Amino acid sequence: MSPALLEVDGVTKRFGGLSALNDLSFSVGDGEIVSIIGPNGAGKSTVFNVITGLYPPDEGDVRLRGQSIVGLSPNRITKAGIARTFQNVHLFPNMSVLENAMVGQHSRSKAGVFGSIARTPRVRREEAVIRQRAEECLGFFGKRLAGYRQDQPAFALSYANRRRLEMARALATDPVMMLLDEPTAGMNPKETLELRDHIVRMRDELSLTVLVIEHDMRVVKGVSDRVVACDYGRKIAEGTYEEVANDEQVIEAYLGKRHEELG
Amino acid sequence: MASSGPARAVDTQLSGFATLPWRKIILGILGATISFVVVVGAFKTLTLPQAERYSGDFWVDQVVNGLGQGAILALIALGYTLVYGILRMINFAHGEVFMAGSFISFFFADAYLESGFLNNQPYTALLILFVVSIAASTLVAVLLERIAYRPLRNAPRLVPLITAIGASLFLQNAFRGFFGAQPRGYPLPDILRGSIELFGIKVSKVQLLVFITAIVAMLVLQAFVNRSRTGRSMRAVAEDSEIASLMGIDVDRIVVITFVVGGILAGIAGVLFALTFEQVQFTMGFKPGIAAFTAAVLGGIGSIGGAALGGFVLGLLQAMGPPLLLTGFGIPSPFSLKDAFVFLILILVLVFRPGGLLGSGEAEKV
Amino acid sequence: MRAEVRIGAIAGVVTIFLAAVGLIGDFTNLNLIGEQVTFAGLMLVLPPLLAGYVATTPRIEAGQVIEATRARAAMVGAVTGASAGVVFAAFVVFVDVFGVERVRAIFLNISPVLMDFLLRGRPVLVAAAILVAISTISGTAGASYRVLPDAARRPLGTAVWVTLLFGFLQRIIPIALDQLDVERDWLYSKVTRGLTWPGAIIVAALAAGASVLKQHRGAAMRRAVSIRPSSDGGGPRLTPVNALLLLVGLAVVFVAPHVVGSVISEVLGTIMVFALLGIGLNIVVGYAGLLDLGYVFFFTLGAYSLALLTGATLNTFVGSSAPVIALDLNFYVAIPVVVAIAAFAGVLIGAPVLRLRGDYLALVTLGLGEMIVVLVTSPWLTPLVGGPQGMRDITNAAIGNFGFRDPKHFYYLAFAFVALALFVSWRLANSRIGRAWTALREDEQVADAMGVSTTSYKLLAFAMGGAIGSVGGALFAVKIGSLTPASFTVLVSIQVLGIVILGGIGSLPGVITGSLVLVGLPGLLREFEEYRLLAYGAALVAVMLLRPQGLVPNVRRSRELHEEDREQDKWAGDIAADEHVAPGISPLGEGAG
Ligand SMILES: Nc1ncnc2c1ncn2[C@@H]1O[C@H](COP(=O)(O)OP(=O)(O)OP(=O)(O)O)[C@@H](O)[C@H]1O
Ligand SMILES: [Mg+2]
Repeated sequence: MSPALLEVDGVTKRFGGLSALNDLSFSVGDGEIVSIIGPNGAGKSTVFNVITGLYPPDEGDVRLRGQSIVGLSPNRITKAGIARTFQNVHLFPNMSVLENAMVGQHSRSKAGVFGSIARTPRVRREEAVIRQRAEECLGFFGKRLAGYRQDQPAFALSYANRRRLEMARALATDPVMMLLDEPTAGMNPKETLELRDHIVRMRDELSLTVLVIEHDMRVVKGVSDRVVACDYGRKIAEGTYEEVANDEQVIEAYLGKRHEELG
Repeated sequence: MASSGPARAVDTQLSGFATLPWRKIILGILGATISFVVVVGAFKTLTLPQAERYSGDFWVDQVVNGLGQGAILALIALGYTLVYGILRMINFAHGEVFMAGSFISFFFADAYLESGFLNNQPYTALLILFVVSIAASTLVAVLLERIAYRPLRNAPRLVPLITAIGASLFLQNAFRGFFGAQPRGYPLPDILRGSIELFGIKVSKVQLLVFITAIVAMLVLQAFVNRSRTGRSMRAVAEDSEIASLMGIDVDRIVVITFVVGGILAGIAGVLFALTFEQVQFTMGFKPGIAAFTAAVLGGIGSIGGAALGGFVLGLLQAMGPPLLLTGFGIPSPFSLKDAFVFLILILVLVFRPGGLLGSGEAEKV
Repeated sequence: MRAEVRIGAIAGVVTIFLAAVGLIGDFTNLNLIGEQVTFAGLMLVLPPLLAGYVATTPRIEAGQVIEATRARAAMVGAVTGASAGVVFAAFVVFVDVFGVERVRAIFLNISPVLMDFLLRGRPVLVAAAILVAISTISGTAGASYRVLPDAARRPLGTAVWVTLLFGFLQRIIPIALDQLDVERDWLYSKVTRGLTWPGAIIVAALAAGASVLKQHRGAAMRRAVSIRPSSDGGGPRLTPVNALLLLVGLAVVFVAPHVVGSVISEVLGTIMVFALLGIGLNIVVGYAGLLDLGYVFFFTLGAYSLALLTGATLNTFVGSSAPVIALDLNFYVAIPVVVAIAAFAGVLIGAPVLRLRGDYLALVTLGLGEMIVVLVTSPWLTPLVGGPQGMRDITNAAIGNFGFRDPKHFYYLAFAFVALALFVSWRLANSRIGRAWTALREDEQVADAMGVSTTSYKLLAFAMGGAIGSVGGALFAVKIGSLTPASFTVLVSIQVLGIVILGGIGSLPGVITGSLVLVGLPGLLREFEEYRLLAYGAALVAVMLLRPQGLVPNVRRSRELHEEDREQDKWAGDIAADEHVAPGISPLGEGAG
């Protein structure tokens, strides 16, 4: 059997005395949508940071198609096909919306110093492709990021649009796998529903594998093929949404903290 | 939209020329070269033929000189560290704060020499010189804060740094405009001439004064920061200025006090420096300023003990490093490379141990 | 009233400062217009004038801009001016009573000449009263200017500053006119050297007229000449009007040295050397956002390596000798080598230091810049680069028999390189590489996570910046023909940084403007040489405080520099709140605790 697309294998990450991740393992197969849930401080964002190379793990391994990606720089990992968004939106605030998305194409293009100066036909074609790809990715969200908005600076966007732009920028890296950190945080119910559809479309239309951290259980329920629940940096349950939602330990973990949000 | 099937190929070519750890390789070469120079240079210098070798007394002198200059550097370094601790900014113009005190006190020293007061009442005269120098340095520091830095408190980091560079240039040249460009000889009271034997080591009286004053000043500072209410507020602001202001601490006031304290220490250093080198000039703040900043970084910027330690260590390195490491390679007049040596140390510390001697050894993150 | 008195008092202190550094006393004979308007006089009225203007800044209350009425403005201006005048007059009285010579023993520039200028032989109290009156009038004028209707204000302002500028350029414009064989005595007097009154009135009238024209026709004119970006996202497209203007511009540039003569050509040459440095540093500071305070490193490297590659000789006390490395390459062969060396050096020194956070990087680069200066001066490297005596007989970059040492010729050589560097820099900025730099500058970690190799792009910026800077150094060597360490100091770094910042960080037109202002003006106004650095320092501070985006800003960069204005915006808070990615440190902690 060929290895799963992404394997997180026994990863431990400590900050001082605190183990943000503790021997955490799970895997994600091609074309799956997997949700990670867990109370605040469970270590969910830390997993993303370890996978994408922002933090080195203290122990354990992360493999993409069977190849270890631990120790690679974030940009190499992006190039290898993992794209992400951040819990607190991180755009390039003073670049235009379109330019933000164009940066996503960086690792898929190769114009060098001399090519860029001479602006050779090849470089010009590449630039046209970059722009076209960026526009396509913005177009993934319909009219929301189209038209005059493309030339606005990113900071001028509404909060929800910033989230969308961040996803568009991640899409523009042409990933095989998308990591979304609380994509619906701060969105109103209507926008949340819309986003749920977007996540499903990412898989169905773009053939992406999606790993999503989400607090909103309606979204988790609606999109997940599988759910991984964490607490204190450990995996406490894994399975379908129903299995996990009824798991004793999960209910326990949430009861202590945010019971009301489950269900 | 372009996309491929679920089994889309991953870019698995995860190694190659471009991904070699170039930084580590270059750092390794750098480290090896430096170790080589240190070991071989020191060995060669110490095993020179008897006639060319430095005498034991020479090294003792270098140690004493180094500590003396280190004490002055430490005082200036404290100003950098305090401001950095509170505002996270490098007060590039701090060297000019120091210069201002030194320069203004010169006019008093000069007048006292002429009137004979300097030698008739040396203790009172010296005291007045210190007071004047402190007053001038403090005034400049406070004005700097008020005019150049306060409006930029929330600006992107590099903006206040550029302002500080501008302020430094402005202050230097304002002093040049006021008082002229030529160096002035700083008078030394007779009681500070000559030297005394301490534990069999010859120490000049000026050096002794430098030492004692600097140590006392640092002890007072330590007590102030740890014991007084204001000192505690300062530490709270350094820890987290937002929380401190929520707890009712007037952050603006604390910032001003920090600049005042830095100014006082720089003023003291100003007189000590002038007495040591017997000369003042409008450019005199630049190099000690950089050296003191190096000292602050060496000790771990933001830490008071670190700045003091860094000052002494840098003083020693500066006094002993060039002759020890360079003479052996037959490099003529090693002391001409003293300043380059300071910068080299600054670079090495930041590259290899950005947290400084007392720090964690890890760089602060972006 | 308290605010006005305070602003006035500050203006008074500024005037005292100007007097104390010699900006008044040294220039009592620098006539700008007739014999009445002198530079010293200008220094006397300018602070209260500006204070009056500042004191009437419209208030914003509840989102509404409230401008002062005319009468009120005049009153505010008068109070401000009077307050400034009183402070300054008090100083004058003090100096007079205390004795000028005694003050002068400390403050060198508070001289009898200054006092003569201020007192004019009158009793001190009378003179003081006159000074207060002048100051009051100036303050009132400044405030009244603020409340003039736009239609009158703009032409008036333009007329005043253009006329004064003409007054300042009394060394240059007459020379240019002489070169062109144009009669000029009606404009500039041979006696006062400044503008004549009739000349001044004509200049003022023309300037005012141009301003009126601009007000009415400006938009249409700008539209006619502006370059529109083409629709396909490629480079800009030229219209016939653009092309014509471009041709005229090129023609002017081409004949310029022959019109303006050697002296000004020489200044133009210096401007271009510094423009080149500015273009290079702009890549590092403006595009990649790395503050480099040691740019003199590359300048020095370029100059000395060119000298060594092209067979310069060492100066010694007895004559000259060959350096230990002496090649004899042609300038045009050597330049690529110099560029390669500099780019390589950029990578080499960049690799260990580029991980450092902004302000540390600044200090380290400052150190590197100082180190190379110490090294070229040191006895150790004297056999290679001549030590304090330096080197001479540097190539004049001749093509055939046409050498480029002559300032009029050097101009063309420098222009070619500036044009090339501008082109390279502009193309890079508008490419995938420029985008990567921008991303890197805006948020390094995120850029990394989006696939931009931050280390490579920082190194690239360092290498490109270094390469262009080294060409600046090489040209400088050609220009002056000999090198001494005195030309290579930290001031070069700061000067270039000033050019980039004053012009507008990240903006190429800004770099050109910056070098014209910061190198051109001091180069042309030789009498102000002593005050150049003072003005630099003041300009750096003022620009950062008042207009951090610079004179000719880069749009995006100016947004970044005004980031604090958006602090209330939730989004800026979001970024700041993300402490997981950027953990804070707690200094003072271990040392003090
Ligand atoms: N850079 C860091 N330095 C120190 N501690 C950290 C760092 N990053 C995360 N932590 C700690 O690790 C733990 C897990 O954090 P993480 O951000 O992964 O939680 P999370 O599951 O994403 O929570 P949330 O739902 O609030 O986003 C927390 O206790 C956090 O304080
Ligand atoms: Mg999280």
